[in-house]
Formats: sequence, structure tokens, C-alpha cells
Amino acid sequence: MKIYIFDTDNWREIGATLSRNKTRTFLTAFGIFWGTAMLAMLWGGASGLEGMMKRNFQGFATNLGGCGGGHTTMPYRGFKKGMNWSLNDDDVAYFRRICPILEYSSKINNNGAVMKYGTKSSSGLIQGVEGDYFKMQVPVVHEGRVINESDVSGTRKVVTLGKNMANELFGSQSPLGKYIEINGIYFQVVGVVSQKGEASLGGRMDDSAIVPSTTMRRAFNMGTDVGVIVFTTVPGYTPTDAKPWLWRAITSNHPIDPRDTNAMWFMDISEMFEMVDNLFLGISLLALFVGAGTLMAGVIGVGNIMWIIVKERTQEIGIRRAIGAKPSDIIAQILTESIVLTLVSGIAGVCFATIVLQVVDHLTYDPLLGSAHFELMFGDAVGIVMSFLVLGTLAGFVPAIKAMKIKPIEALNDK
Amino acid sequence: MTDNTEVMISLKDVNKTYPGAVPLHVLKGIDLEVRKGELVSIMGASGSGKSTLLNILGILDNYDTGTYYLDGVLVKDLTENRAAELRNRMIGFVFQSFNLINYKNAVENVALPLFYQGVSRRKRNALAMEQLERMGLADRAHHLPGEMSGGQKQRVAIARALITHPSIILADEPTGALDSKTSHDVMNTFRELNDEGMTILIVTHDPGVGAQTNRIIRISDGVIIPDSGIVTPDNICQCDA
Repeated sequence: MKIYIFDTDNWREIGATLSRNKTRTFLTAFGIFWGTAMLAMLWGGASGLEGMMKRNFQGFATNLGGCGGGHTTMPYRGFKKGMNWSLNDDDVAYFRRICPILEYSSKINNNGAVMKYGTKSSSGLIQGVEGDYFKMQVPVVHEGRVINESDVSGTRKVVTLGKNMANELFGSQSPLGKYIEINGIYFQVVGVVSQKGEASLGGRMDDSAIVPSTTMRRAFNMGTDVGVIVFTTVPGYTPTDAKPWLWRAITSNHPIDPRDTNAMWFMDISEMFEMVDNLFLGISLLALFVGAGTLMAGVIGVGNIMWIIVKERTQEIGIRRAIGAKPSDIIAQILTESIVLTLVSGIAGVCFATIVLQVVDHLTYDPLLGSAHFELMFGDAVGIVMSFLVLGTLAGFVPAIKAMKIKPIEALNDK
Repeated sequence: MTDNTEVMISLKDVNKTYPGAVPLHVLKGIDLEVRKGELVSIMGASGSGKSTLLNILGILDNYDTGTYYLDGVLVKDLTENRAAELRNRMIGFVFQSFNLINYKNAVENVALPLFYQGVSRRKRNALAMEQLERMGLADRAHHLPGEMSGGQKQRVAIARALITHPSIILADEPTGALDSKTSHDVMNTFRELNDEGMTILIVTHDPGVGAQTNRIIRISDGVIIPDSGIVTPDNICQCDA
């Protein structure tokens, strides 16, 4: 038995056959090239879009829940519906005590603020938070540190400035250790931060001044009311799972009908992430579907050209059979040709797609957020080429069988 | 012919019918014997069955009943693979239209039968070169068929037929596409090969070609005309029926 791939005659023959009709070979090869390129680009593009979407949430916990006060929608114990209520320290303390799946939680109070340093002033947002806040939204720390638990328990008058705010008030000077005036109260700057992604809690971190929640409420006479509480759950649970405990804490402290769950503002980021995940699953499937269609068209093209090649070469195949080619020799020859055609154009297609993805990845690169991962896993690329190879072989099979069945006399009489 | 030369081809009562709405009985009990070293021509009008006989002799087609021994091997009910192998090793074909592969040069065409024997490229090209030299075509070795004259192409085809050292050469109208001078050259080549001991069977309807062989076998309406034998001026004229 001859080993086909080691015989240069074979390669010469394949080259000769395929180059005999350059236009047709080129168009067929282009069909496959485009099919693989499409499939690879859609595949990598879907992953890149997902990456672009998700990098906006960098530093942002994906199992984050939030809850705040609102107004009732049912009358209860003599209170009319539409009663306003706020979360307070008791609710939060009770919730933290009873909820076993809580990971991190922080109260957040928001307020507008005017900040002054020397002659410069700027208006922005002041946020009172607790130490866990920075575990749920991990910031980029440019200088100093973030507010921690002992700042909160010590009611210290310290502030973490957003980067934009720091630039406005201090310019190129370092604000660390300086005192700024916020709504008439002096706070010492302990750090400069900015947010990583596009998603933020309350307001954009870069334009905020973040202070301990205890200090904020005392300084600005806010009592025991809590604006909102944000929290994350331990792995394996979503914030929605913690909702019953939250609701129990709230209804035991406020005159709210236990059935009136609309009275509470509640959000679960993980549900949004799940939606986004489903969306991108859908996009991936669509990419696969469209890519597979293009692929099929390319493969049928290969089958078609091999069919024509076999028809054209009937006489040659007859000669070969007459001088001693076995049916298996002819099959191997036709199949090798279709495999070479698919393999070469398939690999070219994947290479092209890789270059395109690389360019797109470069264009969407963000110095802070990094790459969106417009890229193709090596395994996926190999998978695409392999599935093309299998389909290309199958496409070559029908013409090869036809070629095998050519009888030498019929072919030789066909002068 | 002496009795001590061995029999190369032996057909006994070979029948062939092409099936169809009206079955066509083409060969009606052919008995034929060709001894080693003979130069024989088979002559007959078109439709006489000579092409079918050639196809059967060349193991390109099957026959229905009878026996066909080629160089001592019974050729009957062979698989495609076995038939291909026997064709490759025992038979050298020469066709009217040369049947060279037009994108391969002379050496590659001549070497092709050895390719199907699994002979290495270097070795088969060397052997092909030898055969081309023998045909006086060494200077055309790297030319494509399209760049050669008809006579050169036919000699390349003969070189291809010889390369496997076959038991027999079957030539189907080998001079049909050539002018008279080239025909003469090609026939001389066959005669020289015959002188070296090669058994050659030429199918033709050209009496001039038949005249240059040692024996003419006439076939008409599916049977061999018993009279046919050694060439004489008389029976040459009858062949062009």
C-alpha cells in the first residue's frame, strides 16, 4: 500500500488538478475560507461583545443586592396605603443578625454636597458607607486608602475623594492629609479612588466624596435612617434568596402588611447578570447557526467542484484504472484533493478571522478595563477546522465513489 | 511456431452477451491461442466483436462462459483489485489516442504504472528514463504530451506499456491517429520489441498494419474465421470488409 502523503507525485497532481480551473477553485476555496472566517469571527465576536459588556462591571460584585424604603400599597393596622417609610439601623441590625447567607453588607446614605479647599469649590455627591462597601465595589486606589471599619466605628471625620473631585480641588497637588470642607464640616482626606468599570452604586465614585456612614449621619443630623443597604450573599445564593429574612426584619419593625412586598425597593444584580448571560448565550447560538449555514454552503461547494473534477477527469481515471490503479487508489486521490482544498482554505479562514479579531480587540482595548477578549480559543479554532475537515471529507465522498465506479472501458471509449 | 514454446494466451469457448431489452451476443464461442513471442493482429470490421475481445484480453471486461488463461493465470470472475493488479503487472496497453495524462511529463507518464506498484519515486523515474532512452526519447523526457508529436506520444505510451515488463502488449489501433510514415516507425518499434521476445497483440482494421504482423486473426460476427493464420498477400485484402 502506498503512503499517499509522502509521495510528491500526489501533491503535484493535486496542485495540477486544482490549478487547472483557477477561477472555480478560487471561488470554492473562498466559499470555505469565508465560511470558516465567518464562524470564527462570529464566535470570537460574541465572546468579545460579552467581554465588553462584562468589563463594565469590573470591581462590581455580581451577586449584589440592594434594598431601601418606599411607600406602602396596602392599608395596615390603621395606616393608610401610600405611607412613606425608611430603612433604619434597627432593620439593618436585625437583618444582619438573622440572615445566615449574608456575605458583605453596607449602609449607604447619599446627599448632594458642596466641597471646598482653600479658594476652590466643587459640587458633587457625598456618600456615607461602611467598610464592606469597598469589598462589593472594588475601586482603583490612586493614593492613600479607602474608608475602613474603624473609621466607621470611631466616627472619624475622614474622606476618600473621587479622582475627578480631587483633581478639581487640588490640581496636581496631593490631597492626602489635607482638610476639605464638605457642607461646612471639615474632613481629612485619606485616599483618592476611582471606579474600575462603568457600573456604580449610587453615584459615580470618581465624582463623590466617600465618608464613614456614622460620621455622615451625625455631622448632618440624619438620625437613624438608612438610605439603602447593599449586600452580597455567600457563594451559591443570590440576593433574592436573602429577601425573606430582609422582609421579616422590615415587617417586624414597621407597620407594613407582610403581603405588601411592593412596599420595599429591592434589586438583585445577579438577575441582570443572568439576563445578560442568556442574551449572550443567544448571540452565541445565533453566531453558531449563521456560521454553520455559511459552512454548509462552503462544504456543498467543495462537493460540487469535486463532482465536476471527477466528470472532467473521467478519461484520466479510466487510463489510471487501465494501467493498474485500484478503486481505493482513485478514492484516496479524490478525497485527498477535497481534504487539501478544505484544509488549506479553512486554516486560511481561521487565520484571517484571528487577525480581524486581533484588530477589533486592539481597537476596543481600554487602558483601565483591559481587553474585551475578542479572541478565539485555540481549541475552538482547531474544532472549527476539524469540523470543516470532516465535512469536506464527506463532501468529497460522493464524487469519490462516483470516480471509483468509472469503468476503464467506458472512460477509454469516451474519446 | 513450434510446440515447445509456451502458451501466453489461451481462450476456450469464450462467450459474451451484453444484456438489455434485446440481449446482444457479441462473442460466440471464441477459441484462441497465442504463444509467447508472437506478433499477432486481430482484424475485423466494426461490430465484429474485436473491441469486446480486446477488452476481455485486457481484463477490462468480463466474459460470461468459457475460460481465459493469461500466462498461466485463469482470468475469471476477478475482484476489481485483483483485476487492477493483473492489468498492472501482466498487460501493457497502447491506445489509438495515446491516453497519456496531459499534465504529466513523459517521465511521469511512463512511471505511472510503477506508482501503483508502490515503487519509490526516484527508482520509478530512473526506470522510466531507461524506457524512454530505449524508445529514443531521452531528450523529450521532461516535455508534456501537448509538446510532442503523435509519433513521440505513441512511443511514450509504448514505453509506459513496457515499464512493468508485462507478459503481453495489447495495442488498440496503435497507428490509427498517425500519418503513414509515423505509423511505419511505430510498427517498426513493435517489430523490434517482438524480436526481443515480447508477445504483442495488435487490434486493427488497417491491412497495412496487419501485413506487418506474423499472424492475422480475423474475427467476424463474434466468431474467429478458421482460415486466418500466417500472413499471405491473399488474405490481406479481405480484412477491410
